[in-house]
Amino acid sequence: MSLGAARIDWTGILFAALLTLFIALPLIVVGTWAFTEVWRYPSVIPQQFGLRFWSQTLSRSDVWESLFLSLRLTATVTLLSAVICLPAAYAFARLTFPGKNILFLSFLASHAFPKFGLLVAIAGIFLQLGLISTFWGVVLIQLVGTLMLMIWIPVAAFQNVDRRMEEAAQDAGATPLRVFWSITLPQAAPTIVAALLLTFVGTFYETEGAWLIGAPEIRTMPVLMITFINNQIVVQYGAVLSVMLWVPSFIALMFARRVVGTGAFARGFGA
Amino acid sequence: MNASTGLLLVALPVLLLSWLIVYPIIAAVIGTIFVRQPDGATAFSLASYRFFFSDAYSLTNLWLTLWTTVVCGLLLLVTGLPIALYLRFSQGRLPAYVQGLAIFPMFVPSIILSYALIRTIGPNGTVDILLNAVGLPKLPSPYLTPWGPVIGLVWDNLPLTVLMLTAGLGNIAKSSIEAARDVGASPLRVFVSIIMPRMGNSLLVTASFAVLGIFSSFTLPYVLGPASPEMMGPFMQRTFSDLNDPLNALTQAVITFGFCLFFGIFYVRSIAKNREAGR
Repeated sequence: MSLGAARIDWTGILFAALLTLFIALPLIVVGTWAFTEVWRYPSVIPQQFGLRFWSQTLSRSDVWESLFLSLRLTATVTLLSAVICLPAAYAFARLTFPGKNILFLSFLASHAFPKFGLLVAIAGIFLQLGLISTFWGVVLIQLVGTLMLMIWIPVAAFQNVDRRMEEAAQDAGATPLRVFWSITLPQAAPTIVAALLLTFVGTFYETEGAWLIGAPEIRTMPVLMITFINNQIVVQYGAVLSVMLWVPSFIALMFARRVVGTGAFARGFGA
Repeated sequence: MNASTGLLLVALPVLLLSWLIVYPIIAAVIGTIFVRQPDGATAFSLASYRFFFSDAYSLTNLWLTLWTTVVCGLLLLVTGLPIALYLRFSQGRLPAYVQGLAIFPMFVPSIILSYALIRTIGPNGTVDILLNAVGLPKLPSPYLTPWGPVIGLVWDNLPLTVLMLTAGLGNIAKSSIEAARDVGASPLRVFVSIIMPRMGNSLLVTASFAVLGIFSSFTLPYVLGPASPEMMGPFMQRTFSDLNDPLNALTQAVITFGFCLFFGIFYVRSIAKNREAGR
């Protein structure tokens, strides 16, 4: 601001302090619980730290079953989403065809419905098809949730590719396929990888569709955590899982954010 | 050739969208109005809607949902707008820290947040511990009351609110604000006369997005909220899965669509307008 750097930024300090309390406190608490063996009220610091609950959590067979199921589901959904959406994203970015704008908008329009209501409507269809409580039922419902992100971020990637390089390669006699492989794809790749990561992490933590469609047979990691909460099982189980799963996903998301850019997220939601 | 290739490439996701979004919505509306009778025939009947709007429990749940949406919307506005204003008009390390914190919840899945909040605001949780440590009395815990989901939903929706409002403020030229300041306008005057009139659209988009997300939220109200009354999300889930009553669950879903219709239309219209302008 124009009034000089010497002035103390009280507004900023106030925001920083309040936000630290509001945003960071719950995360610090869950992080502390993961490494706590005994923490009785009203001590501010746990009476005993330790890793006992890590080995206890990791020796539960339901944890491993859910983890592998979640990874299998998430990998399937991400792969299918890429196969279905990436060619479409290329078409939206580079080709002209009738109805292009209205079709592209219709993907964004799927966000204009209250999500859980939509899930219930889909569940109504799946009930008739016998897809409730099946692996593929959950795959389909999670796949729908990935469509928008997996189309509009790669669209931006394909639009940003340097057209002159493509034209130069074409002039030098490269076939369209060759141009795509050697020029277009490598330039768009980082953003596409970021979209894949976002889809993977988002699907891994997708709770509502998995809970509604998957129950009771398909117990993904988040669904297992909800049952831990409902059954009031040892606090530390959930805390350990939170820390263990969240750290890798956080690193992936930070990478994705750097590539895609924070502002682009907001624009994608219509800001 | 170009046109048919394009249509071919987008065919698969478009079909998926029609089958898993458009068709279920239409099927839900039609299936709750033309109801299948025990003898297999379908007949026009609004009985499930009449039941919803005459059932005290359903209406309480709807009312709780509306209350939560309005309270969260207002809280998001009074926290998000000052933060966005601050971020727009200052630079340096402290604003970067503030922005980082405000955006941070985007990287925290709501199931992990639920877990963390139970230990933080729950009975004998960290808030109680800290109050006790400085000699203050315990507060009544918001966990399992309507305020539990409010806290969680504000936490969860803060990043997009701040980002969308900051993007909206980005359209206001700094020069016009400095000009007003030079002629002696107070900060409040600048806000009311220069910033607010140009923020109308982005405020409404932000509000629409928040309303759509909060109105049908499931995880946070399910974990942090009271068992009864419940918000529409947990209510629909319980009606569908636990009570095995798809007809009434679909009726509830169509009613949520109805309540969010205005915001949905506004949201789509403004995206379409932005895209027109962007080209």
